[in-house]
Amino acid sequence: MRVLVVEDDPDLARQLKAALGDAGYAVDHAPDGEEAQFLGDTEPYDAIVLDLGLPKIDGVSVLEQWRRDGIATPVLILTARGAWSEKVAGFDAGADDYLTKPFHTEELLARLRALLRRTAGHASANLSCGELMLDPKAARASVKGEPLRLTSLEYRLLHYLMMHQARVISRTELVEHLYDQDFDRDSNTIEVFVGRLRKKIGPDRIETVRGLGYRLTALSGETS
Amino acid sequence: MKLSLPGPSLTRRLVVLAAGWSLVALLITGVVLTAQFRASVLKRFDDGLSEMAENLLARTEVIDGRVVVSQFTDGRSSRTHTGRYWQVAEVGPDGKLVALQRSKSLFSGDPNLFIPTEGIEALGRDPRQTYSYDFEGPVGEPLRAAAKLSFLPGRETALIFIAAEDRRPVDQDARRFAATATTALILLGLGLLVAVFLQVRIGLQPLFDLRREVAEVRKGRADALARTYPAELAPLAEELNALVAHNQEVVERQRTHAGNLAHALKTPISVMLAEAQSRPGPLAEVVRRQAGAMHGHVEHHLRRARAAARSQSNREQTPIEPVLDELARTLERIFRDKRVSVDWSCAPGVAFQGERQDLLEIIGNVMENACKWSEGKVRVQATESAGGKVSIVIEDNGPGLPADRRADVLKRGARLDEKTAGSGLGLSIVDELARAYGGDLKLHDSSLGGLRVEIILPRAEP
Repeated sequence: MRVLVVEDDPDLARQLKAALGDAGYAVDHAPDGEEAQFLGDTEPYDAIVLDLGLPKIDGVSVLEQWRRDGIATPVLILTARGAWSEKVAGFDAGADDYLTKPFHTEELLARLRALLRRTAGHASANLSCGELMLDPKAARASVKGEPLRLTSLEYRLLHYLMMHQARVISRTELVEHLYDQDFDRDSNTIEVFVGRLRKKIGPDRIETVRGLGYRLTALSGETS
Repeated sequence: MKLSLPGPSLTRRLVVLAAGWSLVALLITGVVLTAQFRASVLKRFDDGLSEMAENLLARTEVIDGRVVVSQFTDGRSSRTHTGRYWQVAEVGPDGKLVALQRSKSLFSGDPNLFIPTEGIEALGRDPRQTYSYDFEGPVGEPLRAAAKLSFLPGRETALIFIAAEDRRPVDQDARRFAATATTALILLGLGLLVAVFLQVRIGLQPLFDLRREVAEVRKGRADALARTYPAELAPLAEELNALVAHNQEVVERQRTHAGNLAHALKTPISVMLAEAQSRPGPLAEVVRRQAGAMHGHVEHHLRRARAAARSQSNREQTPIEPVLDELARTLERIFRDKRVSVDWSCAPGVAFQGERQDLLEIIGNVMENACKWSEGKVRVQATESAGGKVSIVIEDNGPGLPADRRADVLKRGARLDEKTAGSGLGLSIVDELARAYGGDLKLHDSSLGGLRVEIILPRAEP
């Protein structure tokens, strides 16, 4: 899961990046409206945390432009301005959720999880695929009740696959959603990670569809 | 604001000034008029006397060295003490006046008619003139007299002819005239006073209008002075308008500054709170507590800035329907996981007398609570209510609120910077806002099963 954080305050941006990183997200940061506009338009984020009071272009304008450009990425507005008139304006511009500062990090993470779950069309907070379970809140996964020890990239890979299970996901899509923009991307490394993940969760759960990508499915006989 | 005592009234000043001048003018007029009349009447009287003395002279002849007055009879000078007398006299060798002939109206025992020595001297210098003077008559009456001097053939010494008459009728006439004139002038003075007062009131009317209009502006019922004022006041009205505009601008700017400052502080507070939370310890505890207090202050002053702006002017009218529509849409999005449906209705054309932001804040908070506690159903109804009010009823099908807890929720009179911990409803802010507009907030049980909140707010007159 890859998230864009748009925040001009460097300390808050650092905190948000750390908190989101700890929760298993790949995080990009844009310190002003212009960069946010560009990144949002060009990178396929799973969610965006957007401050409203931004240098160069204000947050609402950025959001409106994204929606005009057809970017449907869920956006959570994180702002100091908490009046209802401002909330209404934010939602009208196309926001999906609204959180006012000061906020609790847990609250932000919970809202973000709900946003991602809703976008992917999942009803429950925990993801499951047969006997494979993933708890986004605790950033933990388990097979048949046995907790898995995953690196952060392995966790991200599994999370993304579980969010979009039963669908074929290309390597490029995985690269785009697992790494932040500063990472030296190489689609071959995906194969390495898929291989490692297979070792941990069982080789047959991730199916390779030749020329297209990967698909996560429940094992036959398991009830999902 | 310190108010100095008002100076002397402008009306009084103008009236007193005008009245003072009028009084002096009327006084002078009265004195001059009366004196003129008196002089004129006296002159006519003197002329009569002079003619009588002339007549006396004409009827006097010297026969054998004796002075004889013939054919000079009229009723009044024939009867005793009628008040009309005459006398022909000469200055004796001792310088005393010796009467040669006297009218019959003088009794035999009566003293001779008197003429002052300077009168005789004056006549001696210029015999053609008539000398007029006053003296006391035989029965003590005030007499006016005319004396002439003439030489008659047959007499060595000059003869003095004196005609005298009671002057009381003349004085009476003069007094009567003075009384009439005084009465007339007093009435005229009073009339002038009333006229001056009316003139000042009417003349100063634009000033009173100006004051009334300024008061309207201050109370927020008008934006600016709109009337046309006379040339003397127009610049003042213009300056006042400029002052009002400037004042509003300054307040608006301060409000924006306060808002910006408050909002700008929220990010650092956020950072401090998060940082403190991620590194537990005594320092973090202090930072957390202080940052929390800072947040309280920021919220408090934000609200104060809003309230200050509100008292400035609440002439804005906000139609309620679009506000309900916006809020319902937004809240359905916020609570979409819960699948809350907001069923709202609004009487056509109802508007709130106040700012849109405040209405959004009031209804938004109550509706958010309703959505939060509801089991998927929220009903909002805005209707006109008696006494120029609008009633907005917000109900939900949640668990409701026990009657004994409702007062706590509103926490009336609680300090602004006090966190209303425990209730989790934030209705105190709504209550405070509604009250600032002279409105009210009532909590009841809803027929839907949950809480029913009724908000009463001033309705805008179309």
